[in-house]
Amino acid sequence: MTTDRRHNPLLRWLHDIYLVWKREFWFSFHDEGVIIFFLVLCLVYPVLYALIYNTETAHDVTVVVVDDDRSADSRQFSRMLDATPEACVVQYVPTIADAQRCMHEKECYGIVHFDKGFGQRVHRGEQAHVTLYCDMGVMIRYKQLMMAMTAVQQTFNSQLLQQRLSVVPVSMNSGSIGNEQVALGNTSMGLGSAVLPAIFILVLQQSMLLGICMLHGGSRERRLHNQGVDPLEIPAGVSASILGKSLCYWMIYIIPTIYTLVIAPKFFDFPQVGDLRGILVLVLPFLLASSFMGQALKIFANDRESTFIALVFTSLIFVFLSGISWPRCSMSPLWLIAGNFVPSTWAVNAYVQMQSNGATLAQQSTAYWMLWVLTGVMFVLAYAVERFICRRRYRRMQHYAKRDAMALIREEYRRQAIDVLPENINQADFGIPGGMLDEQ
Amino acid sequence: MLRLFFNESIKRGLVQLVRRQLYWIVMMVLPIVCTVFFLDLMKGGVVERVPVGIVDLDNSAVSRRIERNLDAMQQVSIRQHYTDYHEALQAVQRGDIYGFIFLPERLEHKALSGQEPVVSYYVNYAYFSPASMQYKGYKTTTLLANGAIAKTTIEATGLLSEQGVMNLLQPVLTQIHSLNNPWLSYGYYLNLSFIPCMLALFILLATAFSIGTELKYGTCREWIASAGQSMEFALFGKLAPHTFIFTCTGWMIQFLMYRVYDLPLNCNPWHMLLAMPLLVLANQGFALLMMCIAPNFRFGTTLCTLLGMLSFSFCGFSLPEEAMYGWVRALGYVMPIKYYFLLSIDQALNGIPFYYSRYYYAALIVFIALPWPLLWRLKRECLHPVYVP
Repeated sequence: MTTDRRHNPLLRWLHDIYLVWKREFWFSFHDEGVIIFFLVLCLVYPVLYALIYNTETAHDVTVVVVDDDRSADSRQFSRMLDATPEACVVQYVPTIADAQRCMHEKECYGIVHFDKGFGQRVHRGEQAHVTLYCDMGVMIRYKQLMMAMTAVQQTFNSQLLQQRLSVVPVSMNSGSIGNEQVALGNTSMGLGSAVLPAIFILVLQQSMLLGICMLHGGSRERRLHNQGVDPLEIPAGVSASILGKSLCYWMIYIIPTIYTLVIAPKFFDFPQVGDLRGILVLVLPFLLASSFMGQALKIFANDRESTFIALVFTSLIFVFLSGISWPRCSMSPLWLIAGNFVPSTWAVNAYVQMQSNGATLAQQSTAYWMLWVLTGVMFVLAYAVERFICRRRYRRMQHYAKRDAMALIREEYRRQAIDVLPENINQADFGIPGGMLDEQ
Repeated sequence: MLRLFFNESIKRGLVQLVRRQLYWIVMMVLPIVCTVFFLDLMKGGVVERVPVGIVDLDNSAVSRRIERNLDAMQQVSIRQHYTDYHEALQAVQRGDIYGFIFLPERLEHKALSGQEPVVSYYVNYAYFSPASMQYKGYKTTTLLANGAIAKTTIEATGLLSEQGVMNLLQPVLTQIHSLNNPWLSYGYYLNLSFIPCMLALFILLATAFSIGTELKYGTCREWIASAGQSMEFALFGKLAPHTFIFTCTGWMIQFLMYRVYDLPLNCNPWHMLLAMPLLVLANQGFALLMMCIAPNFRFGTTLCTLLGMLSFSFCGFSLPEEAMYGWVRALGYVMPIKYYFLLSIDQALNGIPFYYSRYYYAALIVFIALPWPLLWRLKRECLHPVYVP
C-alpha cells in the first residue's frame, strides 16, 4: 500500500489532503484563539444580536402636544394619537417654544401642533390642519410617528365623513376603495427579523476568515523561530494543502452552521419558513468559498493579532454590500460588482429569501451557482497566494536563515519597531501549543 | 530630568509609529476608505424606483389609472405584470421584485357601485428600507385613486365646489415635517452614526494593539524604563502621536462628510471640530481602561473588538434606545461613541444650543480620566509580563 501511494500521484495527493486535514484539525482545537473564533463567536454572537434586536421596533414614541385650539376635536385627535401603539403623548405645553425645549431636553421626539380654529374649521366643512414636527436622529422614530399620524387621520376623517354624509345626496360609499398591506417575509415588520438573518450568515463567514488568518499568523510566527520552516506543517503540494485545510474548516463549521442558521432562529422565533435541506445545500458552497477566501486573505495576517485589525472592519463593509440595509437595486455599479465578489452577498440574499419568504433552492439558483463560481474564483486566488506569494516568502526566509540563524527574528523585530532582543525567546511564547514539539 | 523622560518617551512612540506600516494603514488609509465607501454607497440619499410588480385582474380604466399613477411615483417602478397572485409571489421569492400590488376582479364596478373593493399590496419586509418606500408609494396611489373617483362622483352632483369636495373627503390633513432632513435621506441618518463609530473602532483597535505588542514582545520593561519608570509618561509618549494622527484623520472625515458629501452641519463648525479630539481621546481612554481591566494582549484586544463591533448595534443608531431592553440600553452608555452620536445629532443635525449637549461633551472628557485609577494594574503587568498565546 505504501509503495502504491508513493508511486501513484493521485493517491499521494489524496493522502496529502488527508494529512493536512488531520493536522489542521489538531491545530484548530489546540489553539485557544481559534476555538474562540470558530466556535465561541458563532455561539455567542447570534444570541447577543438577537437580544439587542429582540424588541423589533419602537413603541410609544414620545410626543408633546401644542394645542392652540383647545376644542373637543383637537383633544379627541390627541387622545386617539395617544391610544396608538406607536405614539405616546407625554405632555401638553402652551407654546411651540416650550415644546422645542422639551425636544431639546429629549423629553419627546415629536411635536404635534393644532392651529387656532382647528375645531371650527372641521365643523364648518373646511380643511383643518394638524402639524407634526419630528426629530430625525433615528429613522424608526419618524416612521412610527408617521404611521400613527396617518392612521389617526384616516380614522378621524372617516368618522367625520359619516357625520357630513347628510350634506351630499349621493351614496357616499361610491368611489371608495379600501386598501390593506400584507407584510411578506417579515410579518412582524420589525428591524430585528429583517437584519438578523443577514448577520447570522455574516457571523459564519467573518469568524471563519478571522480564524483562518489567525492560524496562518501562528504558522508564520513558528517559521520565524525555526529558520523559515514550520516544523508542524505537513509538507504537501499547494493544492493539497489548500484543499485539506478547507475541508477541515468546512467540517468544523457544520455544527456552528446548524446552530446559527437553524437553532438560533428557532430559539428567538425569527422568520424560519425555509426548507432545511435547501438551506444546508446552499451553505455548502458558501462555506467552501469562505474558507478559500480566508486562505487568500491570509497574506494580510503577519502575526496572530494583527488579523483583528486588518479584518474586523470588513464585516461592516460586507453587511452593506449584501444589500440588506441599502438595497442592491439602488447601488452604483461599482459597489454592485464589489459585492458580487463576496460570498456573503449571495448567501445572505438567498438565505433571507429562503428563510423568510419560503423560496426554494431552485428559485435561488442564481445565487447558488454564483456561490460555486465564487468557490472556484477564491480557490484560484488562494492557490495563487499560496504558490506565488507565501511559498516564495518561505523560501526567502529559509535562504536568509541559512546565512544567519537570527536574521529572521531580527528582521521581524525591525518591522515591529523593537530595538532590543529580549533575553529569552522561547517557542512556547509564539503560538506553539504545549507538547506539540515533543510529539514530533 | 522629567523633561528628558518626556522627550524620550515621545521619541520612542513616534519612532514606533513611523516604522510600522500597519499603524499608517489603520490610522489613515482604512478610516478614510471606509468613510468614502459609506458616503458613496448612500449618496443617492433615498431609495428610489424600487422594482415592484403588479397583478391586475380588472383591466379597467380605474385599474389602469392606478397603475399609471403608481409607476409615476418616485418610490417604485413597475417591472412586470403578473397574471395571478402565485406568479407574483414566486417573483418575490426569486428576488426579482420587492413586492407587488394586487388589483382584484371587478374593481371598477365595485368601486363605482359602492361595494368598497379592497386593493392589497404585498410588501417584502425582509428588506426593510425598500419596503418602507413601497408602502408609501402604494398607500399614496390608492388614496389618490380613491379621491379621484369620489371627486368625480360628488362633482357630478354639482352641489359642491372642487375645494368643497376635497374638504369633504379630507376634513383633517396632517402635515409632517421631518426636521432637518426634509428628503428623508437614509444617508444623512446612517452616515452620521456609522462613520464615527467606524473611526472609534479603529481607535480602540490601534490603542489596544500598540499597548498589547509591548506586552507580547516583552519590551514593556524597556518601554517603561525609557519613560523613567512612569506609566503616565510612557503612555503619553506612546498615545499622544496616535491622538494627533487620529484627530487629523477625524477632521478629514468630517470634511468629507460635511463639505464634500454635504451632510447637514447646522451648528457652529467648531462644535464638531472640538468634538473630534474628544472622541479620539475618549476612545483611547476606553481602550486603555480595557487593557487595565484585562492586562493581556489577547483579552484586551478581544474586548475592544467585541465592544467596538457591537456598539454599532447597542448604541441605538438604528433601533432607538428606548425600545431596547434596559441592560442593552445601559451597555450603550458605556461606549464613548454613544455620546459623540448624541452630540452630533444635537449639534450637526439639529443645530440646537450648545447648552443642551453639555453632558455629552463632559462624558467624553470623563472617559479620558477613567483609566487613571487602574493604571497600576497595567504597570504591574508591564513589569512582570506573561504572554498568553
